[in-house]
Amino acid sequence: MTNLMRIRKASAMRVRLSVSVGCTAAIVLAAACSAVTVPGSGPSGGPKVKSSGPITVAVVPKAVGFDFWDSVRKGAQCAASKMTDVKLQWDGVTAETDVTGQVNLLQNFLTRQVDGLVYAATDAKVLAQVTQDALSRDVPVINIDSGTNPQPSNVPVFATDNIAAARKAADLLADALGPGAHKVAFIPFQPGTVTNDQRTKGFKEGLAKHPNLTLVAEQSSSSDPNTALSVTENILTANPNLDGIFAANEPGVVGATNALNQAGKAGKVKLIGWDASPDEVKGVTSGAITALIVQNPFRMGFDSVNAMMQTVRTGQVASSEDTGVAFVTKDNINDPHVQAILQPSCVNPPA
Amino acid sequence: MGWQGRRVPSPGTWRHRARSVVSQLAAAGTVLVLFIYLSLASDAFITANNLINIGVQSAVVAIIAIGMTIVIITAGIDLSVGSVAALSGVLGALLVVNYGVAIPLAIIGGTAIGAVAGMVNGLLVTQAGMAPFIATLGMLSVARGLVYIVTGSVAVSGTPPEFKVLGQGRLGALPIPVLTLVLVAVLGHLILTRTKLGRYAYAIGSNVEAARLSGVPVKRYLAIVYIISGTMAGLAGMIAASRVNSGQPNFGIGLELDVIAATVIGGASLFGGEGTVVGTLLGALLIALIRNGSVLLDINTFYQQIIIGIIIWIAVFWDQYRRRRAAAR
Repeated sequence: MTNLMRIRKASAMRVRLSVSVGCTAAIVLAAACSAVTVPGSGPSGGPKVKSSGPITVAVVPKAVGFDFWDSVRKGAQCAASKMTDVKLQWDGVTAETDVTGQVNLLQNFLTRQVDGLVYAATDAKVLAQVTQDALSRDVPVINIDSGTNPQPSNVPVFATDNIAAARKAADLLADALGPGAHKVAFIPFQPGTVTNDQRTKGFKEGLAKHPNLTLVAEQSSSSDPNTALSVTENILTANPNLDGIFAANEPGVVGATNALNQAGKAGKVKLIGWDASPDEVKGVTSGAITALIVQNPFRMGFDSVNAMMQTVRTGQVASSEDTGVAFVTKDNINDPHVQAILQPSCVNPPA
Repeated sequence: MGWQGRRVPSPGTWRHRARSVVSQLAAAGTVLVLFIYLSLASDAFITANNLINIGVQSAVVAIIAIGMTIVIITAGIDLSVGSVAALSGVLGALLVVNYGVAIPLAIIGGTAIGAVAGMVNGLLVTQAGMAPFIATLGMLSVARGLVYIVTGSVAVSGTPPEFKVLGQGRLGALPIPVLTLVLVAVLGHLILTRTKLGRYAYAIGSNVEAARLSGVPVKRYLAIVYIISGTMAGLAGMIAASRVNSGQPNFGIGLELDVIAATVIGGASLFGGEGTVVGTLLGALLIALIRNGSVLLDINTFYQQIIIGIIIWIAVFWDQYRRRRAAAR
């Protein structure tokens, strides 16, 4: 077994060497590798088992700087704090669009020989190569929030079902607006990213079920609240009788809320948002935001690190998990199960 | 192209004035054409509300761009403005939220942080002898890192409603960001046209050796120029934070590109020695108009980027064309 592992390691190292020789060679090799893969097993077999001793797990979000990813961090750290001999390495790039930066960061973690890699892919296709790279070094991988394309069968995804939840956003908007014809706007955040495109797809599928809702504007916030603010102001100018907005992530919601407040249209234009930063929660209580679709990032971090530990200790690959969403409104915001999601703590982790 | 064969009329002379006027006319013409087009294409465009929005939306970029104009006139560049604006915004918000500092003081504090960052840039350029591109590129990274450290990479929220005054308040009918911009623009214009600092800035940018030989304290004035740029970034960062009533750690990523675009469209030359506040204001207005108009007409975000890029090309091509003709004469 150990001999076999050594051989695997050596072959993994040879792969690394050719990678440094040239990109083309690496791509050819990777293609060759995946061509001979036996279904159900990784390119070089299962993850290496480390049944005792200290373990380092790297957790890499899409970007640092958002409440969402900070909750992932808290969940991951909470999980690590309940185990012995686990060291958590949390690091991320500063913009969700910095795909190359994330590739480099992950490769550096692999070079530092972490025992497990938990990460959210900023780009499904590009990052697939990094996952392959990790697996060929026998480093187990778990994706959180966003997976890769292709998604290897031995790399589970711990994520929100974005399409289903965004479909629900259209339902919430339709409920809030009631019968009759209504004009709605959509504020996506980063066209081209999987999460963004899934929410767009889900929302538009949802809208199709409500023919009384017409989508009159679709403008991206580039995940910047100030951009979202300007964009919303301009959408309101272009459509003075706008009835509803769906903003698909935190910066978009923060910007849209401010725009509605400044235009004196808070509560009149129904705003459905996503995520739950303190400012967004305040918007729900004040009535500026009709409903928030809230994911469970704490659980994403908590469950994925726990699963990674299992994998490193036993060699058992975990199965994928839908970490679920909650729909937070003024009416249910004080419910204990909603509060556990909004204010997650290691003492009272959300289910 | 380049430094050789370039004859820059000394500032204040008739030819220099004429050249910057021509450059501004081009920008003003484009603004006018776009203005007319948008008022025909969209009913909502010429409304008091929308015009005020455009003013407010251009204020942050324009204020920083005025500082940048002075830097570019000296043949320098300040790439750190976006990060510095974010640093000022989050620190200003933190002062209020965590330390209970009075809001006017916090605004001054946040702006002062920008000045300090600008001073470091200035020292790196003048004392350490670094190229401005490199010195401020370093600051771009350092300031952004500091932003994430002090905020723990989470938006600073919980600011009281009064925090909104700077970015959302109005004095009569006029929004405070626009009034602030007017004040900054008048000051900037006076500095460039009426003060020693302005004259020296043009002199340094036109020919640094000649300026030095004629007794201009180049290092001191260069340092001052970067401090001004940092201060403007700080002030604009506070306005941006106030507009969304929170300190946003990811604010201003890539903002330096819009700012540099505004100054270049306005006729500033990256080779130094040229640029005006009026031109820069027009450049910033043009960018805000493109963004505003694109949303009014529901044009895809990506096309907006292309349009701005093409306008930069046209502005610079026009500038070089004039330059070649002037040199050939």
